[in-house]
Amino acid sequence: MNKRGMVMMSSNPASSSSSASTWVSTTSVSASGKRIQREMAELNTDPPLDCSAGTKGDNLYHWIEILLLGIFNFQFYVMLLTSGFGTLFIRFPFATWTPYEGGIYFLDITFPSDYPFKPPKVVFKTRIYHFDVDSVGNVSLEILKDGWSPALTITKVLIAIRKIFTEPDPCNNPLVPGIAHLYMVDKAKHDKIAAEWTLRFAK
Amino acid sequence: MFRSNNVVARLFQRQICTPPPGTIVHCARRFYENLVPSHTIYDIECPDHLFRKFTEDGQYLVCFSRNHQELIVYRPSWLSFSCKDEDCDIHDLPPQAKKFDSFFTQLYCVSLASSNELICKDFFLYMESNQYGLFATSTTQIHDAPAVGGAIQGVPSIEKITFHLLRLEDGVVLDEKVFNDDFINLAHNMGVFMHDDLLAVVSLRYQTIHILQIRDSGNLVDVRAIGAFCSEDDELFLNSNVPTMGVQLTENNVENGLHQGLPNSSNYFLSGIKQRLLSFIFRGIWSEETNHALRAQNLKRMFYFHFQDYVDLIIWKVQFLDRHHLLIKFGSVDGAVSRTPDQHPPFFAVYNMETTEFVAFYQQNSADELYLLFEQFSDHFHATSKNSLYLNFISSHSNNVHAREQLRSLKNKASSSSQFVKKMLSSLPINCQSLSPSPYFDQSLYRFDEKLISAADRHRQSTDHPIKFILRRQPHALRFKIKPGPEGGNADSRAKKISSFLFHPFLPLALSIQHTMFLQPSAVNIHFRR
Repeated sequence: MNKRGMVMMSSNPASSSSSASTWVSTTSVSASGKRIQREMAELNTDPPLDCSAGTKGDNLYHWIEILLLGIFNFQFYVMLLTSGFGTLFIRFPFATWTPYEGGIYFLDITFPSDYPFKPPKVVFKTRIYHFDVDSVGNVSLEILKDGWSPALTITKVLIAIRKIFTEPDPCNNPLVPGIAHLYMVDKAKHDKIAAEWTLRFAK
Repeated sequence: MFRSNNVVARLFQRQICTPPPGTIVHCARRFYENLVPSHTIYDIECPDHLFRKFTEDGQYLVCFSRNHQELIVYRPSWLSFSCKDEDCDIHDLPPQAKKFDSFFTQLYCVSLASSNELICKDFFLYMESNQYGLFATSTTQIHDAPAVGGAIQGVPSIEKITFHLLRLEDGVVLDEKVFNDDFINLAHNMGVFMHDDLLAVVSLRYQTIHILQIRDSGNLVDVRAIGAFCSEDDELFLNSNVPTMGVQLTENNVENGLHQGLPNSSNYFLSGIKQRLLSFIFRGIWSEETNHALRAQNLKRMFYFHFQDYVDLIIWKVQFLDRHHLLIKFGSVDGAVSRTPDQHPPFFAVYNMETTEFVAFYQQNSADELYLLFEQFSDHFHATSKNSLYLNFISSHSNNVHAREQLRSLKNKASSSSQFVKKMLSSLPINCQSLSPSPYFDQSLYRFDEKLISAADRHRQSTDHPIKFILRRQPHALRFKIKPGPEGGNADSRAKKISSFLFHPFLPLALSIQHTMFLQPSAVNIHFRR
């Protein structure tokens, strides 16, 4: 295997738009659920590269455990999707060297109940030194905020996330201006720090 | 070739023959077939202590007071008495000799527990090279402790756990190490493993493996903490880089109104060790298959489907394999506390703490692989330090043909292979210093009922029958018996009796302690060679 950065994502589809009567039946799936299922299938058939995504597969045990916490609607869809659908799987080759190379980044994608009308929430679960990711893992992407449109899909989101690694743009409203500033004035130093972060926290 | 078992014949034999190369110690140990603790003094008059164990070099007998406050250390000494008659050997021992004091000399008694702490009677580790002892005292545990400050939900809390490093020679406390509001499994040394001068302490509550070093100067020094971070300077590195981000963070929070106050970033990210584990598993599945579609299938089946399970795994127990490698057992929170391993099969991983990388990961499917390693190379799991001589002779199924035979028969008897593997692996990672190095437990010398007695430091249900030690070699005769409890048996045979055995590492001397009921003085017998 050639050396490449990998981006690994686990997604968490959620839906609470379905009323009590619909979620009791295992055959009926709400509009957002159907949409997520279709997008996963689409990802499966035509995967972008260097990325891998899948539902946080759940067994009954976890379903019960999380149900006790009170978000059963949310987990219900995880169950449905896991039983019926394949894994999302994408892989991007990094053409040029990036300081994130060799790292494996875990991301959580949570779909809101009114998806696709609201964007999914993407959070890094692995520490990363990047001006578009803050110190608690929130990622700043235009298409995940005001730029969101119901026409966008998970695939597009994954491609956009990959782009912050391959083509970082420090001028476009960075989440962490300090890092963006360092990137612009002393890219070598920025890359050195970012590579050290990759080595320490993302291996 | 005929060989006499007579001790005199053996001594002559030793004088005139050189044993085959490399067997000198084994040949010398055969003298233990002649020198046995066959004489018993029943119910000896002795102080009412909790007898813990003989140190591995046989220098000390470690005891705790009944009230769990004091440590009392004895030096084993050989019985000597004078006799005026001509053939003393026929006579019974004089009553003055039948005392605990004629076998053991008290060196000192020190108070370890302070205020509301008590000594953990099941915890004691001995560092042979420096004759240092490690003891623990703790307050009582709180079962429904709230999970605050990054603690794991469902793990009990102990307000204060103190480790005391003592110089056993004179009982001086050299150093102490305190863990506050934490949970360390102290029973049978489970939560702490000593290898040479290194200690691995598992904080179940904060999911951290604290690596400490015992310096020759008698100090306990923190070497590293594996958990939230992997390298010892990761946290420092993070803090030195974070200010530029911190400012932005608070602004961001105000903007979103998401968090009140400064959030603890460790709750948001995977812990250092979990990141390493998940990426190790992921890489393994990823590189196993080159075909995209098949790889996607494998990832879905083996990774995403179990992703949350992997994230929820907690460290149960740890042992050193050598100075760099740790064998870590992962499992669910329930299993760690309730100790019902049946429902939750554990996961094993080998972690190199120097390179901060996982080297191997064994789960249900690959448990057989780990078992085979354990069967063939069991001695490697008992990482002994360089200087402990006796520990090299503890029988195991990889160094002793009889022990292996026994394991085989157990394996054949087992109803299913997976159940057997699970049972065997449940002893891993092994408890530190839990086996007695006494030659009487050497399975190439003696045969005995493992249900009633063994090298493992455990309490056992006792029967009224004496425990027989039968020679492994010709003439396969009964050599000596160990009988715990009063000579004539117990008056109340229905009462449940628990006994424990302390064997001296090399002298033909053993203590058997039988407890009948709580708070009742135990019956102590001394077994020795007269």
